[in-house]
Amino acid sequence: MAHFEIKDLTFAYAAAKDRPALKDVTLSVGRGEYMVLCGRSGSGKTTLLRHLKPVLTPHGKRSGEILFNGISVKQLSERDQAAKIGYVMQNPDDQIVTDKVWHELAFGLESLGCDQKTMRARVAEMACYFGIQDWFHRDVVNLSGGQKQLLNLASIMAMQPEVLILDEPTSQLDPIAASDFLNTVRKINLELGTTIIITEHRLEDIFPHADRAVVMEGGCVIADDAPGRIGKLLYEQRSPMFTAMPAPVRIYYGAGGTGESPLTVREGRRWLSDVYPDGAKINALPEIQLPETDEEPALILKELWFRYEKDSPDIMRGVSMEVPKGSLFAIVGGNGAGKSTTLKAICGINRPYRGKVRVFGKPVEKYRSSELFSRCLSMLPQDPKSLFVKKTVREDLEEMNPDKEKVMETARLCQVEELLDSHPYDLSGGEQQRAALAKVLLTEPRLLLLDEPTKGIDSFFKESFAGILAELKARGITVIMVSHDVEFCARYADMVSMFFDGQILTTDTPQRFFGGNSFYTTAANRMSRHVFRHAVTAENVIELIRLNEGGGE
Amino acid sequence: MKRAENDSFSRCHPAVGIVFFLGAILFGAMIMHPLYILASGICALVYYCLLNGVKGIKTVAVLLPLVIVIAAVNPLFNHEGEHVLFQIFGRPYTWEALIYGASLAGMLVTMLLWMGCYNAVMTSDKFITLFGKAIPTISLLLLMVLRLVPNLLRKIRQLAGARKCIGRGAGEKSTKRQQAVDGMNVLSALISWALEGGVVTADSMKARGYGTGERSRFQIFRMTARDIVLLVLLGTLAAAVIVAIARDGTTAEFAPVVTAAPIRGLHAAGFAAYCAFLILPVALHVKEAIQWHISRSRI
Repeated sequence: MAHFEIKDLTFAYAAAKDRPALKDVTLSVGRGEYMVLCGRSGSGKTTLLRHLKPVLTPHGKRSGEILFNGISVKQLSERDQAAKIGYVMQNPDDQIVTDKVWHELAFGLESLGCDQKTMRARVAEMACYFGIQDWFHRDVVNLSGGQKQLLNLASIMAMQPEVLILDEPTSQLDPIAASDFLNTVRKINLELGTTIIITEHRLEDIFPHADRAVVMEGGCVIADDAPGRIGKLLYEQRSPMFTAMPAPVRIYYGAGGTGESPLTVREGRRWLSDVYPDGAKINALPEIQLPETDEEPALILKELWFRYEKDSPDIMRGVSMEVPKGSLFAIVGGNGAGKSTTLKAICGINRPYRGKVRVFGKPVEKYRSSELFSRCLSMLPQDPKSLFVKKTVREDLEEMNPDKEKVMETARLCQVEELLDSHPYDLSGGEQQRAALAKVLLTEPRLLLLDEPTKGIDSFFKESFAGILAELKARGITVIMVSHDVEFCARYADMVSMFFDGQILTTDTPQRFFGGNSFYTTAANRMSRHVFRHAVTAENVIELIRLNEGGGE
Repeated sequence: MKRAENDSFSRCHPAVGIVFFLGAILFGAMIMHPLYILASGICALVYYCLLNGVKGIKTVAVLLPLVIVIAAVNPLFNHEGEHVLFQIFGRPYTWEALIYGASLAGMLVTMLLWMGCYNAVMTSDKFITLFGKAIPTISLLLLMVLRLVPNLLRKIRQLAGARKCIGRGAGEKSTKRQQAVDGMNVLSALISWALEGGVVTADSMKARGYGTGERSRFQIFRMTARDIVLLVLLGTLAAAVIVAIARDGTTAEFAPVVTAAPIRGLHAAGFAAYCAFLILPVALHVKEAIQWHISRSRI
């Protein structure tokens, strides 16, 4: 018997009756299955997930049926659904109710009225399983984002659910914390046999472990198959979701592969080795050279040293770099390495105690604040929400520049025209990012700083975001971006710098930068480096494969 | 916080803590006898320094001069008493008023120190362990508020930082009016953000079965035999102090001359009980330190 059985589910929100959010969804999830639900933002994934847990089901008009263990979910008692169906949401912070780690772990059990002995055993068990014992007595405030999300998961697992539903659980986490989290989810599935239903943008980390992938678009299920076969379907349908597939899948079908695709870097390497047993004839693309210019760089940092407090350790330990005018410059590096601190130092928010910052040839401290942030420099913060202070996007944009023409033009550039009258908080992550970018652009910066612009955004939005960046570059705006997103930097940046231990270690073109690294590089590069040199994106690899095929004839 | 974790008394059951602090603060507020105040002051000072380390010593270094200032200033306004030390501004500066001022200041500082100790020892989770059963909804609300405050502060910093980086925040050159407008903007954004977060929190609570029936409470603290012994001990000592209070063994007059109840016979026992009561946390701390020292030197 299937664990969840969804039959002909159609649903429309009360506010938009004529536009159903779900259309005739029929799905069944087996016991112990690991199912990935993918699709663009707004394709109805969250709405569907929320239907599986009655207390979270949104209001609206619905038809169809959902069975859990053969019984309609509506007939489940509140206690049963609380205990048996676990639900982890996106935001690690807001899900936490109490102020202590141990209390949060026990919260669900308390709600169910468990006795002291059972609670003690379960809490202890979960703390050990998730490696929480070291921070068991801590205040929740002092945890990192990854720890918070792990705590949310553990506090749900303490109730011993049969099904675990996760709604983009890692979108707010950095890549390392995210892959830790997903490994834990996989462990739960393997060791406890818990059924997993997950939506996620980071498919590279999930696809190898999942039993099934379901793709949604516009409220319908458009594909439902094993992860190894789903790519083919999407490729043939020319679905925009194909760009979200892991690099080995994209390369495999992009290069004309048929049948089941490789899912991991390991499988991808094996496949390439089989194709080119004696190495490829053409093994590198021509190198892209940046045009040499004598123009003054947009930004020069010279030996910046900074720490937050007198007694605290140095965050910046001699940061030096030059950013050429009109380039898209990416800074990558680990968590807490000081990348965001550096951006703030460029803005003059953090004052380094040694070293110089020159913006367009002029020391930053010589600028008056009004001068610096108007037609010169602007920064998009990590959380775009922190820029919104008004009731509609339009009001927020007009706060920056009362000129309506200008506002409309910028809105068009950032593709937010249709969202102007919405409340900024009602937008999806990608839409918020673009609206925030529009707001920042209204200061007409010549140097734009972006802090983690692709965090929590799906691949589709990433592409439209990259389009906007290209347009900005064409207008001569210099963009500096700090990011964890290696794939994005490899594909779109002109120059990449590595930030480590408070310094900029190396700066190079993405081709050479990622081509030279063996670990800190893109999946496409890791997969193809034994055959091709310096192929860093999936497009590079596909192009090389095509060239080799052409040459072989 | 770190030091409180290493303190033996802080690791006792919260019931022991609350009995002790109720006793220390109530007795301290009731008894005006200078010797009692001195005893309480010394115990509070030592315990406060043990809990807070160097930082505690710094606080104490600020508080002690305060006692002296209050004591010295009081006779300027209060002229009661027979022993005139000297005349100032044409008014008598009396010995009695000086002692009264010193007692009052001592009491005030002692209370502040005990409250400081309370803060370090009786963390929110201990408070909730004690009163959670009597007021379940309010105690949950309280701890959610405790979580909300640091979150809001962090968010304010984030909003202000973000606005500064687009040149919109309150800068050094902005007028009062601009600052007010900007403050309102930040506040309204903060409210939207908190409301949105509240919806998620509510969902998360519902998803984990909140409100589906009788709640039970996870007890992180366990009452051990040692805690019971300590409770009985504190109770007995407190009873002895109450007897002393009832028999007027703790009274003091400051006008026209300073007369305090003599510490003799039964009253001496009451005073001893008071000292024993207050020294308990320090004694436990020191005892543990000695034990560790001995067991380490045996290795």
